[in-house]
Amino acid sequence: MRLLKTGRWITAVGLVLLAGVYVRALAFTPVERFQGPAQKIYYVHVPSAVVAMMAMGLVGLAGILFLLLKDPRFDRFGEASAEVGTAFSVVMLTTGPIWAKPIWGTWWTWDARLTLTLFLFLLFLGYLLLRGAVTDPGLRARYSAVLGICGLVLLPFIHLSVYLFRTLHPQPIVLKPSAPSLPGEMLVTLLMSFLVFVILYVGFVTQRYALSLLREQADHHA
Amino acid sequence: MPENTPYMIAAYVITAVILVGYAVLLYRRTLKP
Repeated sequence: MRLLKTGRWITAVGLVLLAGVYVRALAFTPVERFQGPAQKIYYVHVPSAVVAMMAMGLVGLAGILFLLLKDPRFDRFGEASAEVGTAFSVVMLTTGPIWAKPIWGTWWTWDARLTLTLFLFLLFLGYLLLRGAVTDPGLRARYSAVLGICGLVLLPFIHLSVYLFRTLHPQPIVLKPSAPSLPGEMLVTLLMSFLVFVILYVGFVTQRYALSLLREQADHHA
Repeated sequence: MPENTPYMIAAYVITAVILVGYAVLLYRRTLKP
């Protein structure tokens, strides 16, 4: 299947580029003066968080389009994006506390940003559990679309939580109205890492979408 | 070695394990859909 092969190639390229990002981040990007080496966790934590949120945003958009157009391709895409988003949110939720321990002195705190990102992960899990629990394909697609739209609504609250509430989590230093407050070398590393995470997202989703298609074809022939 | 280097190493190792692990999982699932 051509789609599957394309997805595998994109993923393979993404993994090779990820190794390149590791080399650049660990060996060729300066160490931040106050936080030390732990600051470099930023180059994997932030892209994984942005991609996880992007994945949920696309699940929500696919849900809206499915409800409007009843096209099963949007449902299939939503399923793929939710599963891949779950993987990226696991990266976000493990690297965040690993950074927080040496910098804040605690692994976790129940502040607004951290709690809302945990909700995001739980929504991904709920979405996947819902799909596993509902056997009727039409109902499954409709319920999933509604839950995906709920996830989409959560995203602005996650992004704005650092402004709306008193929180320990740092405020955005790139995704903000003014210019990024990050030295050039660090910004390049962050953008490269973000690009590679997006490539991996595309590769994973393409493969996962192709897998759903193959399973549907197998069920159809059975 | 600075004090918090092990945290940085742990974060990078865990990220690689999750992403490469998921890639392998997807590959194996697509072999037998």
